[in-house]
Amino acid sequence: MSQPFTLIVTDTSPLFTLALAGSLDTLLRPGLPVRIPDAVYIEATRVHGAPGAEQIVEWINAHLDLVQIVPTDIGIDQQRRLEEGRGIRGLGEQAAIEALERFLRSDTTAEALLLFEDSDIERRQAVFDRRVSLISTGDFLRELETAGLIQSTDYILDQAAAQGRNVERQRLAGEDSTTRERLREQLTRRGEPPIEPSR
Amino acid sequence: MTETDKEKLIRQYAAGEITWHSLRERGFEDYVQVLGALGELGLRPPIAAMQGPNVEARQRGRAVIREALRANK
Repeated sequence: MSQPFTLIVTDTSPLFTLALAGSLDTLLRPGLPVRIPDAVYIEATRVHGAPGAEQIVEWINAHLDLVQIVPTDIGIDQQRRLEEGRGIRGLGEQAAIEALERFLRSDTTAEALLLFEDSDIERRQAVFDRRVSLISTGDFLRELETAGLIQSTDYILDQAAAQGRNVERQRLAGEDSTTRERLREQLTRRGEPPIEPSR
Repeated sequence: MTETDKEKLIRQYAAGEITWHSLRERGFEDYVQVLGALGELGLRPPIAAMQGPNVEARQRGRAVIREALRANK
């Protein structure tokens, strides 16, 4: 390949899809450097122990030679907002735009490949810069499938959804047990014994 | 958002009628929640059809990956 391409992850969704499917390594199969804007990284991993988050952190640490977290001004703003308890929605994509601009400015021959979630790539504004190409999670997996490097795109997407379902069930069960625990605490505080379920 | 609303939105998303962005605007907090809701309904994340304003940039993107995979074999 004559041009130095870099893959820039613009949103958390490709990371979560691949993490839950146990397929984050597929991102490295093309051998391109991967850049993750700081705001995307924080959004994906800020809840310690959250599903997918741990795998993403471990995967990045295992591949620091190829995967880089890109600091941005938007990322600093995100940090401030988190400290103040304000929303951070949409900052990941803004940080990706900033990371892209910095990247293109830093090397006039460099070309970027932006990784998007599928539904968003179809409807977003047209990209006119010839140095910028786009790829969706689905398109990416299809190329790997064509090259015989993964079993099937559908299999990976099914795995992500199936794992997501398990995670959501655990999350809901956790919320439920927290509610029960709080109720028990309330009753105990009043000096009343917990109510035994009727038989 | 009721369970029925949530299910309707997820079905629309899986069918490619609405975007992940719009799901987020309508109360889905993160993409894991979307994957979970898809899994609950036996659906999978959508793959975008090769259409829209970015077809050329997407075709370039697929070609980049194809070439990189070939070079990296």
